[in-house]
Amino acid sequence: MDVGLVAIGAGIAMISAGCSSIGEGMIAAKAIEGMYRNPEMANKLRSNMIVGIALDETCGIYSLLVAILIIFVLGAAK
Amino acid sequence: MQEIFNHFFDFNLPGEVIMSLILVAILIILCVVIFILVKRADPLKKPKGLLSLVEIGVEKVDGLVEDNMGKSFPNFGAYVIAIALFIFFSFIIGIMGFPNPLCYVGVPLSLALCTFVMIHATSVKYTKWKYFKRYVDPIPIFLPVNLLSMWAPLLSLTLRLFGNAFAGWVLLSIVYWALGSLSNLIFASLPMGPGSIFIAPLVTPILHAYFDVFSGAIQTLVFMFLSMLFVAQEKPEEEKVEEQMALA
Repeated sequence: MDVGLVAIGAGIAMISAGCSSIGEGMIAAKAIEGMYRNPEMANKLRSNMIVGIALDETCGIYSLLVAILIIFVLGAAK
Repeated sequence: MQEIFNHFFDFNLPGEVIMSLILVAILIILCVVIFILVKRADPLKKPKGLLSLVEIGVEKVDGLVEDNMGKSFPNFGAYVIAIALFIFFSFIIGIMGFPNPLCYVGVPLSLALCTFVMIHATSVKYTKWKYFKRYVDPIPIFLPVNLLSMWAPLLSLTLRLFGNAFAGWVLLSIVYWALGSLSNLIFASLPMGPGSIFIAPLVTPILHAYFDVFSGAIQTLVFMFLSMLFVAQEKPEEEKVEEQMALA
C-alpha cells in the first residue's frame, strides 16, 4: 500500500477533531457569557463547562485514535 | 503446576504495568505516612506542612462531591481522591522519563472498570430488583440497544484517558526525534563530533508542561467529575424531589 494514501487517510480522519474543537469553543463561549450574566453561578457553570467540554473532546480523541491506528497499523503493513 | 511456577518469576511485563505497580506502592507508602502523621497530630493546633496541604485537598474534594452528588454519598470522596492521585501522578511520572502507565490501554481500562462497577452497584443498591428493568426500559424490544449502550461509559472513560496520554507521548517522541535529527544535521561538522550538542532540552520543556502537567490536571478533573456524575445519576429522582421539598 502506498504510504501517501495512508497519510491522506489519517488526515481525513482528523477532520472530526476540527469539528469537535468548534463545538468546544461554542460551549466555552456560552458558559463564559452565562458567568458574566450571573456571577453567583460561576462555580456551577465552570464545572458544567468542563464536563461538557470533556464529553465533546471524546469525539476528537476517537478520531485521533483512528488516525494513529491508520498510521501505525496500515502504514506498517505495507 | 510446574509451568505456572516457572512463569511466576517471569517479569516479562510491559514497562507501563511495572511502572503502575511501582506507582501504587509509592502512593500506599505516602498514604501510610499521612495516616501516621494524622494520628500523631494535635487536633487543637494548626496543621503544618504536608498535613495542611492534605487537609485543604480533602476539604476541596469533599466539597466537590457534595456539590455534585448531594449528601447521600458521604464516603465517595475517598474513591475520588485515590483515582485522582493515581491519574495525576502517572502523568507526572512521564516527565521523569519513565513510561506513563496510562499509555498501556489495560491501565485506564481497569480504572474505568472501577467506576463502571460502582455505577452498577449504586444502581442495584437504590433500585434493588427493579435494576433489571433498565434493560427493557421503554419496551422490551429495546433490550439489544440497552445491552450495547450500557458499555458506553466504560469505553468513553477508557479511551479519553488512553487517547490523551498516548497522543502526548506520540507527539513528544516525534518532536524529540525531529530535534535530534536537526541537532545532528547542524552540529555534525563540529570537532566534538555528532551528538555532542542537543537542541531538544531547550524546546521540549514547554511541551512537557502542556501535555503532561496541564493535560494531566484537566484529565484528572474530568475523570473525577464524570465518575461523580455517572454514579450520582443512578440515584432515583424521587428522593431528590423530597430533599428539595424539605429544604423549601
